[in-house]
Amino acid sequence: MFIDQQPTNPLREGLASRAMPDPCTLVIFGATGDLTHRKLVPALYNLAADGVLPPAISVVGFARRDKTDDVFRMELEEAARKFSRQGINDGLWESFASNIHYHRSPFDSLEGYESLAKRLDELDAARGTRGNRLFYLAAAPDQFEVILENLRKSRLNEARPGSWARAIVEKPFGTDLPSACRLNDLVEKAFAESQTYRIDHYLGKETAQNIMVLRFANALFEAMWNSRYIDHVQITASEPLGVEGRAGYYDKSGALRDMVQNHLLQLLCLTAMEPPAGLDADSVRDEKVKVLRSLRPLAGADVFKHVVRAQYGAGAINGKRVAAYRDELNVDPSSVTETYVALEVNVDNWRWAGVPFFIRVGKRLAKGGTEIAVHFKSVPPVLFRATGESIDDNVLVIRIQPDEGISLRMSAKMPGSSLRIEPVKMDFHYGTSFGKATPEAYERLLLDAMSGDATLFARRDEVEEAWRFVDAIHAAWNTQKDDLALYEAGTWGPAEADELMKRHGGAWRRL
Amino acid sequence: MEAPVTVQAASEPGMPVEIGRIDKELGKLWEASDDTKTRASLINLVVYSERESSLAANTAVISAIAGKHACRAILIVANPAAKESGAKAWISAHCHLQGKGRQICSEQITFRLDGDNAAALPNIVFSHLDSDLPLCMWWQEEFPEPLDENLWAWVDRLIYDSSVWKRPKHQFLLMRHLSTSDAKGTVLCDLNWTRLHAWRFGLAALFDHAEAFPRLGCVDSLRVACAPGQRTAALLLIGWFADRLGWSPADSPEVLSTASGGRVVYKIEEKEGPHVSLFSVRCADAHFELELKEGADFFETTIHAPGIPDSHQLLPAPNAKLEETLLAELSRSGRHPLYTRALDIVLHIIA
Repeated sequence: MFIDQQPTNPLREGLASRAMPDPCTLVIFGATGDLTHRKLVPALYNLAADGVLPPAISVVGFARRDKTDDVFRMELEEAARKFSRQGINDGLWESFASNIHYHRSPFDSLEGYESLAKRLDELDAARGTRGNRLFYLAAAPDQFEVILENLRKSRLNEARPGSWARAIVEKPFGTDLPSACRLNDLVEKAFAESQTYRIDHYLGKETAQNIMVLRFANALFEAMWNSRYIDHVQITASEPLGVEGRAGYYDKSGALRDMVQNHLLQLLCLTAMEPPAGLDADSVRDEKVKVLRSLRPLAGADVFKHVVRAQYGAGAINGKRVAAYRDELNVDPSSVTETYVALEVNVDNWRWAGVPFFIRVGKRLAKGGTEIAVHFKSVPPVLFRATGESIDDNVLVIRIQPDEGISLRMSAKMPGSSLRIEPVKMDFHYGTSFGKATPEAYERLLLDAMSGDATLFARRDEVEEAWRFVDAIHAAWNTQKDDLALYEAGTWGPAEADELMKRHGGAWRRL
Repeated sequence: MEAPVTVQAASEPGMPVEIGRIDKELGKLWEASDDTKTRASLINLVVYSERESSLAANTAVISAIAGKHACRAILIVANPAAKESGAKAWISAHCHLQGKGRQICSEQITFRLDGDNAAALPNIVFSHLDSDLPLCMWWQEEFPEPLDENLWAWVDRLIYDSSVWKRPKHQFLLMRHLSTSDAKGTVLCDLNWTRLHAWRFGLAALFDHAEAFPRLGCVDSLRVACAPGQRTAALLLIGWFADRLGWSPADSPEVLSTASGGRVVYKIEEKEGPHVSLFSVRCADAHFELELKEGADFFETTIHAPGIPDSHQLLPAPNAKLEETLLAELSRSGRHPLYTRALDIVLHIIA
């Protein structure tokens, strides 16, 4: 039923150092939505402009609104001109857009899927795409069930011999473990795990991919990547923005579900995992899921000891007054949803015994940035004690965004006749060394899905293990509400989070 | 990143310096610069030429690439035939704006070596490299024989352009020897091959269609059009195509043998236009063509085959600018196994 192999075009072999995408038809459910306009179509255009997208690829937008192919193309062109990382060439756009089509149908109409199947057959014949289909679920999550059900009923999920059918599922993958399991069961009814690509766009970022290269291609770091040398790790994702029109979703979700369950636990996995047996998808994902299984569960009273949740009050961002979370449009005025969360997490395995991972994420913080900071242990306070000099610990910082790069803080003697020790920073900026524009995360991920490479996509067990960890925290929070701290917008979060770090003898990094 | 803007005159060789004081003078240059400038370097790029006129052109190319591929550039203009020996040096920097007023700068050291001093090339190169960074040597002349192992053994990537060679077969043989003779194996980077990258992608795309793919097994002729004097480009493309399909050179000229013993006739036409302007593949019942018109940004494709609707498709064409070709080459890492395999066939069919 699920055949995922076909003869390859020998002229494509070796043309690039990565697997080449197969010609296919990409069907986007939720084609009139923001994601399609802001991310997916600009990403596809950029791939075409860079010459890495097989020209035989077709795109079919599936949505409820009534519009023609031409209107759909015009809307996408407008969006591509606005959001593409490179300028739009009129000739190339015309050629690219001629392969974009619109299929109008309600998501719950089986007829719409049956007519889609006919249309895909016609496109296959015209474009020679051999029946390869990639279904992108970019619609609202509450539509996933009906879409998957109808894909199955119309047998669009079935690949013909020598062809493949794959599904890309956008986050959120459920809202808790039961809903994630239910969603995964639904997906599994239509698509085998090997045909399912769960997108976490953080994994498509160059710097996230570079974590593995930094760790496993540099003997210097990997030899010290353990509890013998590392004191603790801080993973931060901060943003000065508020809920920005996502209040309806965010007020139900909160920072823990919105960011920690997926993005930050993925970064933790890449930081803490053992070297995989190979670079294939399952070898990498096997190691990541082992990290998730090794997380010491936080439940009951432990949650209030090791997790701080908070919500922003009124304050100032970039010199402008901003409202408190509860005063934002479409937010429940008595909401206890956390806009900030800080956690102390332990990975109970041989490598990381006794090394806490501190994770924090928040909105309306002083500055935006995502980074992983590895704090090394102090040198024995022997040699320089007499000088009275304090020596800062070495810190290796992997900046995920913005200003992607890596820096290493170390100590150096200040020039002069006396012995003065100061911290200095060795800094590597991607933008400085590699001046060329970095591809958007969605470009890499779409190309990978078309090529059948699932390494940068989350596997079912990863998603469910992450929910298991997060759900236990939520269960404890549901037993009481008075632990919700407040912080002023534009600051670095609540004092309670500082206390969490102080107990370990450290302090949060100022980005 | 903002569009790179060169903020220093690119056509001047720079500030004259004594060769023995180059490092000190470079140090002073950076000490004197303000905090907005950051020196960056990913590679040592040594450019060797024996043409006086190359200096300005090469400086312009370095300036253009430095914003996207920071390097320490060492430009050498040698005149071994000069009656009087002499050596002169200049230093300069290429700075490019990169957001918020920050400038990223690459150093350039320029040498002029006359007469006997031209023989000091290895020493000039080795004593001015940025340590621990790869050495990319862009050799703009025909390769001398015998190759000086003292120099070539240290080169990580050897960049050259086979399209300008007067004796291509002889030079290709030298290159193959170089890539296989030392333990490290210098990576061969032929800009003539790099320019064909978009051609290879385009040709592969012609055969993606399910009905087109099987016809690769029944090709009976190839026709390639190239600019006058660009036969090596056409041969490299034919060599690659033949290698991918398991063909080998036949005893007759302009004929290749398929794995099943069939014959494929190929023809190269020289005509005014882009360095390669057409690659045409014919079978008994089908015809596939990739064409590039003068000044066009895109290839035009033609497919006439049963079961495939006649179609015209635009595919990105190679950027003909030298700096773009060089950047494309520098952006790639690793070896070029397809090139060395294509070269094996080219060495059999080249005159």
